[in-house]
Amino acid sequence: MKFGKTLTFVVLVSVVAGLSGLASVRAQEGVTLRYFMWDPEFEPTEQQMVDICSAELGINVELETMEPSEYWPRLQAMAAAGDLPDVFNMSSGYVDEWARDGLMLNIQEYVDRDIMPEAENYFVGLFDAARYPDKTEGDMYAFPFAFVETVLYYNVDAFDEAGLEYPSEDGWTWDEFLDAAQALTVDRDGDGEIDQYGFWFYGRYAHIESWIYQNNGRLLNADRTRFEPDENAIETLEFLNSLIHEYGVAPMPAEMEGIRQQDVFPLGLAAMWVDGSWNINNNRSQLADAEEPFSWALAPIPRGPHWEEDTAYGWADLMAISPYTEYADEAWDFIRCMTGPNRTVELTFPGKIPIYRPTAESEDWLELDQMPPNKGFLLEWARFTGPTSFTPGWGEWRGYVGGSGLEAYLNEVFNGNMELDEALSAAAEQANSVLERFYPEE
Amino acid sequence: MKYKKITPYLFIAPMIGGLALFRIGPIIASFVISFTRWNVRTAPEFVGLGNYVEMANSDIFWLVLKNTLVFTALYVPGVIVVSLILAVILNQKLKGIAFFRGLYFMPYITSMVAVAMAWNWIFSTRFGVLNNVLKDMFGVSHPPAWLADRNYALLVLVIVTVWKTAGFYMMVFLAGLQSIPSHIYEAARIDGANRFQVFFKITLPMLSPVTFFVLVFSLINAFRTFEVTYAMTQGGPLHASTTLAYYIYRNAFEFNRMGFASALAYALMLLVGLITALNFGVRRRWVSQDIY
Repeated sequence: MKFGKTLTFVVLVSVVAGLSGLASVRAQEGVTLRYFMWDPEFEPTEQQMVDICSAELGINVELETMEPSEYWPRLQAMAAAGDLPDVFNMSSGYVDEWARDGLMLNIQEYVDRDIMPEAENYFVGLFDAARYPDKTEGDMYAFPFAFVETVLYYNVDAFDEAGLEYPSEDGWTWDEFLDAAQALTVDRDGDGEIDQYGFWFYGRYAHIESWIYQNNGRLLNADRTRFEPDENAIETLEFLNSLIHEYGVAPMPAEMEGIRQQDVFPLGLAAMWVDGSWNINNNRSQLADAEEPFSWALAPIPRGPHWEEDTAYGWADLMAISPYTEYADEAWDFIRCMTGPNRTVELTFPGKIPIYRPTAESEDWLELDQMPPNKGFLLEWARFTGPTSFTPGWGEWRGYVGGSGLEAYLNEVFNGNMELDEALSAAAEQANSVLERFYPEE
Repeated sequence: MKYKKITPYLFIAPMIGGLALFRIGPIIASFVISFTRWNVRTAPEFVGLGNYVEMANSDIFWLVLKNTLVFTALYVPGVIVVSLILAVILNQKLKGIAFFRGLYFMPYITSMVAVAMAWNWIFSTRFGVLNNVLKDMFGVSHPPAWLADRNYALLVLVIVTVWKTAGFYMMVFLAGLQSIPSHIYEAARIDGANRFQVFFKITLPMLSPVTFFVLVFSLINAFRTFEVTYAMTQGGPLHASTTLAYYIYRNAFEFNRMGFASALAYALMLLVGLITALNFGVRRRWVSQDIY
């Protein structure tokens, strides 16, 4: 009995001594932030940035990177446990859900104090992606570190070969686009199989919505609570469908099955393609290894018959602060450091536009010695960044991978297995059953 | 004396503890979760039988269930026949036979991602080996878009899964074949039985306990099919190749619907349990009880 009491006493003393030792070590080492990032491919680059900012701020930062498939489940489990990393990457598509659930710190005061006095140095229009509950009036719950835009990629050599003028940066009409697509659709060996299509797309969000917004269309109703494509959106989808089934200038998605969708353009199977600026790197690497590399460039998305003003489909990638952090000030300073002048051109993400204007507008970032020669067009186009269809449950109703959602229904249309009105009606039923969970009928 | 009573329990304690923590605990927890709406990030909300009602009213759920049953109905006989044929062919005393046994076992230990990449290329619509063979050698002008066609996508998954797993079941059958005493075959030959009679009257009945194991095991694995769907079709096109396990994964980890996913998981458990019970129920009718 006496031995037991002595043992308990010794254990307790050891624990207390250990804890106080830990505390003193921690105090000596200063603040340690945990930072989660979703892109392991760029871990070395991000680690360099972390090292720079840690040294500048006199804090420790532990960087952890993981694939998005692991990133979100883990982050959500940590949120449930009230143990989020101090700083973490956030998608524009999840801002509303996470802000609503109180899982991101409101950083509006920090932004007002430190960023707005030098607003000219930032693409402030992109800040709206981080606002909640209203996308123009709401407070910011995360800070953008970069953003992306969807653009029209075109094969310069194919245009030259066909004797066509390049797409105007002032904007092509659908008719002009269609004329070019027809001229660019080529069966070189006359075997009845098209060797180069004029254009390539499928039901993917980046391939579709860019066109809808340039035709002044919308997929959602005014308060963004229901899937209700308007007439302009339906007109856009009909036009896209006609490119495959009426004009034959684009392949059915099924024809390209088995090829990574982002490789169709650099493989020379299509002369034009609409997708995000993040594909610049893939184009470069694919064409560097190609037997017959070609020149390519960027242009705006063609304007539909109901176009009123240019509207670019783009969104920001963000950094958020945990509401549970003990070091909110330090976390904000870290975000400022990671998104400001310290992130020099060589530390930016290929195909993503840094939020800090002097870096984005520098000659180094424009990479004039590489394709595309008009990378600066992204900065021009960014001025027109407009709506997205991000809502709670977006991935479920929009369909982020091939098997489900609006994307899957549109693919059935483009593959000739379903009529457009039938597909939209089925997609609306499914999408609205998802949206109803977040915005119940009153 | 007192310690002697405790000792056995101490020995099994780690196993029981692990079982309780990592198996029984989650089974009970997911049952409770299936009565809630829970996005993982915030506190769960009790919805009673709401998830089960939604499941019963969901067209997608019934389609996914049908896919899973069709997959199972095609995969299980397929893998049993293929692996049994392989086992019979490789149950010979030939030089280098171990190499071939290893060769056929290789797909089973190969990463599903690598397997999916290879088969994606085979089934690729425009550049795939299969379609080019169909076009060039058989004159098929418009071969199917295997992975993008609702009529074929599930069949492709069955073929790939049979190819990947047949090596494992082949080994199981091989072990069964080698445990059949040779004197039974000798007696049959003396009685004048031909090869087919030997196979159907002796080999198959004597293998029935092993076949039963393969049947139960492959059935359970068929119902739990996930990897191949994830790696090759992501359930597409338009849910045509979505299997129940993959649908559970998507709801739990992509759509953050833990409650609904848990209800689906219980549907799957019920289904697997029923089929397995049925198998054990009819076991006596066709599985040899002879000990040789």
